This record gives sequence, structure tokens and C-alpha cells, in this order.
Amino acid sequence: MVAPVRQETAEKDRPSPLVETRSLTKRYGPRITAVRELDLRVERGEVYGFLGPNGAGKTTTLRMLLGLIRPTSGSAAVIGEKPGSPAGLEKIGALVESPAFYPYLSGRDNLRVMARYSGASRSRIGEVLEQVELSGRAKDKFKKYSLGMKQRLGVAAALLKDPELLILDEPTNGLDPKGMADMRGLIRRLGKGERTVLLSSHLLGEVEQICDRIGVISKGSLVAEGAIAELRGREGIMVRATPVEEAAQIAEKLAGVEEVTVNDGALRLTADPERAAEINAKLVSAGLRVSELRPAEQSLEELFLELTDGETV
Amino acid sequence: MLASFRAELLKIRKRPATWVLALVWFVLLVLFGYVFTYTFAANPPDPPKDQPAAVQQQQEAINKQLLDSLLPENMLKTLFANGTFNLGAAIVLILGAMAAGSEYGWTTLKTSLTQRPGRFGFLSGKALAVGVFIVLFVLLGLAAGAASSYDVAYLEDATVKWPPLEEMARAVGVGVLTFGAWGFLGFALAMLFRGTALAIGLGLAWALAVENTIALLPIDSDWWKGFRRLTLGENTASLGSIFGDPNPSFGIPAPLVEPERAAITLGIYVAAFVALSLFLLLRRDVT
Repeated sequence: MVAPVRQETAEKDRPSPLVETRSLTKRYGPRITAVRELDLRVERGEVYGFLGPNGAGKTTTLRMLLGLIRPTSGSAAVIGEKPGSPAGLEKIGALVESPAFYPYLSGRDNLRVMARYSGASRSRIGEVLEQVELSGRAKDKFKKYSLGMKQRLGVAAALLKDPELLILDEPTNGLDPKGMADMRGLIRRLGKGERTVLLSSHLLGEVEQICDRIGVISKGSLVAEGAIAELRGREGIMVRATPVEEAAQIAEKLAGVEEVTVNDGALRLTADPERAAEINAKLVSAGLRVSELRPAEQSLEELFLELTDGETV
Repeated sequence: MLASFRAELLKIRKRPATWVLALVWFVLLVLFGYVFTYTFAANPPDPPKDQPAAVQQQQEAINKQLLDSLLPENMLKTLFANGTFNLGAAIVLILGAMAAGSEYGWTTLKTSLTQRPGRFGFLSGKALAVGVFIVLFVLLGLAAGAASSYDVAYLEDATVKWPPLEEMARAVGVGVLTFGAWGFLGFALAMLFRGTALAIGLGLAWALAVENTIALLPIDSDWWKGFRRLTLGENTASLGSIFGDPNPSFGIPAPLVEPERAAITLGIYVAAFVALSLFLLLRRDVT
């Protein structure tokens, strides 16, 4: 098993996490392991992206956190409670996979049903409808809603309890570009302040735009967890110069350059990008022809492919 | 559980299919319980000219008996002993199956369970709400029977004499046990098969085909009778017989079970079906 890349801080300094799993595992029969030994930690107040290819185990994990599925082994605590317990669910709003409501009821009546289950006040219904900009269509039957409206109603239902933790599973699935942009804007707004958002997605750009930290899951295992910038690795400079071998030899001797690697005819220097001009000058003065020099940053896509062994998303 | 009960009441009340079923139940009861019987009894075919007078008198007596059975004073016998109420068994079976099975079909189970109620509270509230609608369907049946028998009395210019109040109360109890057993059979089947289609299909096949075949098969052995004593149809028919013997012209077999035992058996069935549903929901993953 691949050990997860994890950005650690001193254990004693860390506040108690809102979501914490320990060796969480879900098996279906002897052959299929949907989630394997998952150690997840979502801190209070952050927007956490749970990233992984389709079928990686994201939804199974979220269902376990909500008590819909029982783990085969391991444990989880959500807001300090056992998953699925009424005390925990009272503080959690969730949208798992596609939004599911009663088709013969209007949007408002669906929320009335959900408010009765959750004990939320009736006044909250109007508030959350406003929040997701669905007030104008609240009297229409759910079956007449577009996919985007259904997703927004799903978010509205998740917000009814004014939850501390919002769990959103692929909330932009099936939406058109405008719908996706609107939904991301909404999630960003919801994630401001003290509310914690756990967002599962297979869209790299989405988590990059919205999330503070990410966890990457592949084949049921967590392969990386941390802030996006941290996971991308140390800063560097990409240099394209000829002859490349000579450029590499000179670069290795430069002050402030920690590591030099040659890839695809270009050098990647582990160094502060602020030193780019100085490095350029040294290479040129050594008689090398420098055709390109820029800060090198591993894209999230590159990182993702590296972590998931090239699994497609 | 109370929160879940209130949510379920709203869902069932606002569902058009619930009221379609109520309408079908009303129409079935009025048509098969009263309209067809009254039309036949009030307009008997002309007897053949060479028919002996004794046979003709016997035919007239049967017609009078049929007409009398439709009057308000015999309302409970018509509804329960003659099996009219059993027509509603299929209707409440569908009602129960829809209430439980649609949650799987629409995948709304995850939405509801993540709101807070807890699985026990969710299912208890749902079962209680279905129970309330079963009571309403029983009351609708009694009201339809009362209105129909009143109309017959009006058409025949007969005196309107209603059954005593305690008999009416007993009728509500018998109706609730009868409908409860069938309704929660549909409910449990829907939980078992995680959907409505198979639950309704199998439930109706059992209610309409298998139970009737079992009752009519001419097998005269103790083990067969012992098995028949356990069937829902036998117990509901036996319980209905407390309001009188079925009309002989309907060809309903004599009940095998004592009414008290039938009441207990049906009560056990209701509890068992709810317990099975609860067990299934508590045990299974919601995928």
C-alpha cells in the first residue's frame, strides 16, 4: 500500500477535527474493497476537497460518515459523534450523489418534509430557498425541475439545519458550465465563516478553485492529504537551455539551487523563483543559450496523475 | 418518531396515488357490495313459464334475502361476513407497498435518513402514518357501506335501522385488523424487495390467486387445515363472520378459525410485518 503524502503539524497544536476516520474500511465480499484503511481528518472551518477518480471510494466514504453504510472495520467520528446518530446528524447537512426528493411534491413541500424530519423551523424553509435562489420556483413540483434546480434544492435541504458541517458529494455533476459556476460560487459562500465543507469531486479545477485542503483517494486508499500548494511540492524554476548537459552541470554549482533534474530536454531546478534572473545571467555568461526560463509548478493534474498512477478522472 | 410521523403524514396525504386508491376502494365497495347485488335482486330475470311454483317461491325468497342484506341493519354482515371488505385488501396492500417501496425507487431514503430521524424513528413514524391511513380507509369503507345501504333503503322504501354503536366500533376494529395485516404485508414486502413493483406483484398474486385457491382446494386433511388456519384470507374471513354467517348464495366456505383466535393471529401478523421491516432497515446498508 502506498503511504499517504501528508503535511503534518505537531499533534498537540491541532484542534479537534470535525471529521476523523481511523483505518476506515469497507469491503463487499472477499473480492471488493471499496475503501481501505482510510485515515481522514477534516478540520473545523475549512473547505476540504475529497478528490478521486470515479469509483475510487469517495461516495462510499461519505455514506459511511453519514451512517448510511456500516464500515467493515475501522472507526469514524463526525462532530464527535458516531456516524448516523441523530445527535451528529443534527449538525450535518448532506447532499449525497444525485439529489433525491419526492417527485409529486413541490420544492417547498419537499423541504417541509425534510424540516419535519430534522426538526428545523418552518421559517428556515424560506431562508434556504432564498439562499439557493429557488424561491421563485418553490411551488413547482420537483419532477418539473431542471437538474441544476434539483441540485440547488439538494443544497437547500442540506442547509435546513444551519449545519456546522456540510457534506456535498459531486454537487456539480451533470450541470452545464453556468450551473457549475453558480454552484461553485454558492459553495464558496457557504464555506465562508465557521462552517466546514467536505466536498467530494472528481473535477480537479473544482477543488482547486474552492478548497483549502484536499485528500486524494485512489482505489479506496488515501494517497495524499494537505493544502494544494503544499502537495504540489517545493518551488522551482524550469530552464530550457542548450547544451542541456552543460547547463545542468553549471546549475548544480549555483548557490541556492538544491536539486537539478533533467526532464524532456529541460532542467527543473529546486530553487526560489526569485533567483530566476540571477540564474539566467549565470547561464548566459557561461555561453549557454537560454530559450525559456519560468517558475516551475507541478499542476494539480500532474500531481493527481502521479498520485493515482494515471487513473483517469 | 413523532417528527418522522408528521413528515410521513404529509408525504402520504399529498401523494395523488393515495387518493386514487381511496377512490378505487370506494367504487369497488359500492359496485361489488351494493350496485351489482341490488341490480340483480331488484330486477330478477323472468322465470320460465313451466317453472314449478315452489321453485319460483324459493327464487323470490333468495331475492328478498339479498335485498334485506343490503339494508342498513345488515350493513356489517354485507361488508364483513359476505367478504365485501376483503376487496379492499388488495388496495391497502398497494398503499403499504407504495409507502415503503417508493423510498427505494426514488432513492429518497438517503435524503430522509441524513436529515436526523434515525432508522428506528424513521420507520416507526412511517408505519404509524400508514396505520393512520389504514384507519381512514376502514372508515371510508364503512361510510361507503352506510351511504349505499341508506340508498337501498330509500329505493325500497324500507325503514332505516342502523347497527348498534358497539357493533360499529367492533367493525372498525375488525376492519383495522383486516386492512392492517394486508397493508403491512405490502409494507414488509416492499422493504424486503427494496421497491414497489415486485412487492405489489407478489402481494397481489398471493392475495388474489394463491389465497383463494388455498381456500377452495378440496383437501380434507388436518395438516392442510392447520396451514389454512395461518393464512391471512382465512383469518380475515373468520373475523368477519362475527357479524353473521355469509350469504349462502355467495358460496363462501365456512370459516375454520374462531374469531378471537383470528383477531390475535392478525394482530401478530401486523406486529411481525412491522418488526421484519424494522429489522431489514436497521440491518442493511443504504446504497
